[in-house]
Amino acid sequence: MEGNYGEDEEFGFSRNYFIAKELGGSGKKSSRKLSDIELVDEQELRAAARSIESKHEKEIASLLNSYKSLYPKWVFELRCGFGLLMYGFGSKKALIEDFASTALTECAVVVINGYLQSINVKQAVTAIAEALWDQLKTRRTPSGDFPKVQQPFNSRSMDDLLAFMDGSHSEKNDCFVCVVIHNIDGPGLRDSDTQQYLARVAACSHIRMVASIDHVNTPLLWDKKMVHTQFNWCWYHVPTFVPYKAEGIFHPLILAHGGTAQSAKTAAIVLQSLTPNAQSVFKVLAEHQLAHPDEEGMPVNNLYSICRERFLVSSQITLNSHLTEFKDHELIKTRRHSDGQDCLYIPLATEALEKLLQEISQ
Amino acid sequence: MATPDHAENDLQPFFVLHKALVQKSERKSTGSRKIRRRIELSPISAKNAEKMEIGTGEEQDDHHYEHLRMEAFNLVWSKIESTIKDVLRNINLNIFNEIHRWVCESFDAIKSCGTTLTKATHSYPIVTDATFRQLFTGLVFTKNMEFVDDLMTFEELGLHLKSHGCHVANLSSIDFSANNGIGGCLRSLLRQFLMVTLDAADISILASWYSDQGNYNKPVVVIIDDMERCCGSVLSDFILMLSEWAVKVPVILIMGVATTLDAPRNILPSNVLQHLHVSKFLLGSPSERMDAIVEAVLVRLCSGFCVGYKVAAFMRNYFLRQDGTLTSFIRALKIACVQHFSSEPLSFMLKALFVEENNQGFWSEEHAHFPEEMLKYAFDLPSCRRNNTEERTGENLAHDLSELKRLQKCWSTIVLCLYEAGKYNKIRLLDLFCEAVVPCSDNSTASNHHLGSGISSSSDHSIHHQYLISEKCSSICQAIRKVRDLPVVLLYQLLKSWEKLTEDVIEIHDKVKELQSLLKFENGKSLKQDLTNIPKRHTSRSHLNMDKDSKVLNEKAARLMETMVRDYMQPVECMPFHEIVCFKNVDKLQSALMGDPRRRIQLDLLEFQKILLCSCCSNSSKAILPSMHDTSILYTLAQEHGDLINLHDWYQSFKSTVFQPSTKGKHKLKQSPAKKRKDSNESQNQSEASFQVRFCRAVTELQITGLLRMPSKRRPDYVQRVAFGL
Repeated sequence: MEGNYGEDEEFGFSRNYFIAKELGGSGKKSSRKLSDIELVDEQELRAAARSIESKHEKEIASLLNSYKSLYPKWVFELRCGFGLLMYGFGSKKALIEDFASTALTECAVVVINGYLQSINVKQAVTAIAEALWDQLKTRRTPSGDFPKVQQPFNSRSMDDLLAFMDGSHSEKNDCFVCVVIHNIDGPGLRDSDTQQYLARVAACSHIRMVASIDHVNTPLLWDKKMVHTQFNWCWYHVPTFVPYKAEGIFHPLILAHGGTAQSAKTAAIVLQSLTPNAQSVFKVLAEHQLAHPDEEGMPVNNLYSICRERFLVSSQITLNSHLTEFKDHELIKTRRHSDGQDCLYIPLATEALEKLLQEISQ
Repeated sequence: MATPDHAENDLQPFFVLHKALVQKSERKSTGSRKIRRRIELSPISAKNAEKMEIGTGEEQDDHHYEHLRMEAFNLVWSKIESTIKDVLRNINLNIFNEIHRWVCESFDAIKSCGTTLTKATHSYPIVTDATFRQLFTGLVFTKNMEFVDDLMTFEELGLHLKSHGCHVANLSSIDFSANNGIGGCLRSLLRQFLMVTLDAADISILASWYSDQGNYNKPVVVIIDDMERCCGSVLSDFILMLSEWAVKVPVILIMGVATTLDAPRNILPSNVLQHLHVSKFLLGSPSERMDAIVEAVLVRLCSGFCVGYKVAAFMRNYFLRQDGTLTSFIRALKIACVQHFSSEPLSFMLKALFVEENNQGFWSEEHAHFPEEMLKYAFDLPSCRRNNTEERTGENLAHDLSELKRLQKCWSTIVLCLYEAGKYNKIRLLDLFCEAVVPCSDNSTASNHHLGSGISSSSDHSIHHQYLISEKCSSICQAIRKVRDLPVVLLYQLLKSWEKLTEDVIEIHDKVKELQSLLKFENGKSLKQDLTNIPKRHTSRSHLNMDKDSKVLNEKAARLMETMVRDYMQPVECMPFHEIVCFKNVDKLQSALMGDPRRRIQLDLLEFQKILLCSCCSNSSKAILPSMHDTSILYTLAQEHGDLINLHDWYQSFKSTVFQPSTKGKHKLKQSPAKKRKDSNESQNQSEASFQVRFCRAVTELQITGLLRMPSKRRPDYVQRVAFGL
């Protein structure tokens, strides 16, 4: 792939795509199934994951070390009002946190783990504002009168928090809180509202942002206003080749997808977080399914009467609320019985179900 | 690396890594550590660096210098920033005044319609006449699709109107989102007018605020900077509401429009449109503004900071072909500035040289204690080494730097003169500037190029980029050619502007004066001839004569221009010590300005040896080696597939790549002999598990980079490739 830019390149993209498409469409297309591989049990897989020997440890270490020489430059740029955006293959979590804890000791650092599934931005911004407040309090000059906080931060509106962080609290522009966002393109931060909020946070005078991205299409999240006037990124290409340990935690292993252990395990986790009554309701259903493996499932009415007998639920409404919860977590499903009535079943194989019952009764 | 503490933090949505340290001693120590690293980076020779590290006193010196550079940056950039602001404000001033006049007129019109205090203080609006319900609306056409550039314009407009006694609120399209509905923009209005945040936003609050004695009698202006990006229904609700309350709160609307006159018609329904009483205003075009900024910042060198020819060409291309916004051009300039001050050890001198007018004090004070290393570094700069035999003293450095300043002054004067001439040919200053900074190793060749005398450049002038030469001929030559063709009146004007521009460069100034006197003489003659009423034939002949005369003058002016270009327009990169004031590293600028994740991340995977520099995988052939990074192997293998990748096949080829009998043997040797037999089967299984988990991990990593789409329910055995080609 030579680096000739312009139309040729654009042309190249589409041509490559059609070549690839054709390659897939031609007779060569393989139709073999994943199940043809002798898939190892998930638990074994997880165990093996712990003992993967990493390659090139020495080279990676020296690569990371070489980035240390950039730290002073990064600090300089942060002070000049830029944000830092790190990209390149490999987890940059350790690198950025090392940078923050060695070179940014003069300001508070708040870390947001963007790779997690759900993040409450409001709470994070509140934490940032509190950190800034702490910092301003300690740096306050004896002469300068300082406004009292009228309201605790967690009951203030987003606009107020942003206004607080953007205000001019000290003559020195030097006082800032550094916000580190691992994977600003992560699943929990990817929606446009969140990005707008982050951009507004980044634009505040007392905030500097250091973020990492991993997805190749991340720039599509931002419009020109965000890029040029709010985030104000200085890009750095810092591939690390460090495994994405934390970032990959919630990604299912592709070869373990649908394995019994997997679903029993997740089901157990969900169940354990529910109330004992809810667990018992689930147990009633599970026991019924184990006792009658050939039936399509358990009619809701039957479940209700048994649960009532055992004082697990007092009304149809409470039962329904339990069932909704189960359905939301895909613990149970409904299907039409041959005689036309809706009945419930647990979408797990018999052994998986037994295992699950064992686990929750522990 | 993952201590249990760390592992816990990994699952927190957010956490405080550490709080600020305030102890002074701590601060110092980190400071000096930073310096040591910087020195390793900076182009000072290693020996020097070692020397510099010896005493703590010197370390403090370094800290001192870094601090100075930071200070210098702040000064230089604030100077540039304020210059840009002034330039833009001046460009917009006329239109701002016009808008202000219109606001006042509209307000008077509203008042004369009878919105008196008594009416305004009624508890509910009484609408007696339909004309009351008209909203005075100013549409400001930005002539620019890029709304980013105009954000500042509207902010400035707000400030301008505020300073002239209006109540102003600036809203943007974010306030008009469908999610928040009309409450969002009302809240924002109340926030800006009343300085309060209320959950239950209601326009009656605004009305009662307006009827307060202090606020009454001033126009209320609401500015919406990018009308076309607003949610149409929310905007129409907003307008309807304002028009209903027009009696109590006479709001005057100003909306920015990027496209054409029918933009409002496209967004708003007709029943809303009839409430608008529209006036139109036009802003200056982006290229006008661009030239004004280039003139103030890069040609007149308001701060002394300048850029090399490669950087200039890059910035020009970035503006013309890629981003097209002034904002991004200014951002690029700022990045260049930061990079300069963070990497050039002597950059702090800019502050003393240009920004502070009385630089005498700095030099007499500082060059006495100027560290030996700094001096050596300065005199070892490539630009200085070329032609330097003088003694390495602070005095000499100071002298050379003031000479640099003088040369730059000459350069900028000539460029501005060229621009004056080029204006008649609609030549853009940005182009002219980019050509004027191209360095030439030899002045005479340079002038040949400028004059377009057709002598091709010899190859030894290697700094000359061939591409730039051809362009160089174009703008500068065009400007000079235009001087030859100018009619007398315009030539007169041109000379007048030159006279003004060259005031500080006496040699040129004199020549311009000389030319001016000649022209005046000629002019006088022609005027006389015009006055006397002589026969037609005669006139035509005398006209011919006069034409001839003025042609001679034109020729003289062009000659003068040529001499100016040849002798005085020395590009900055040909001056000694220019490294101190001039940023040249275009690669650094480009990579910091815009990342290219799509290309770079794929390259990381496909050519990881270039980054890791390991000995095991640096194979010249393109074969995939088992020692390579797992994800790299997998991605390289993926290149052979079509848009869909069969997981089974992919896994098998991965396995056959990483599977090595020899490693298996080693694996066995490691185990204790007692276990050996029992394990032979298990280890087979184990390695199968380890292959599978390595495969899984590599797939996950590719998924994180977004280079793969995971199997869907419809195609459980396939993943989909996302990127084709770099």
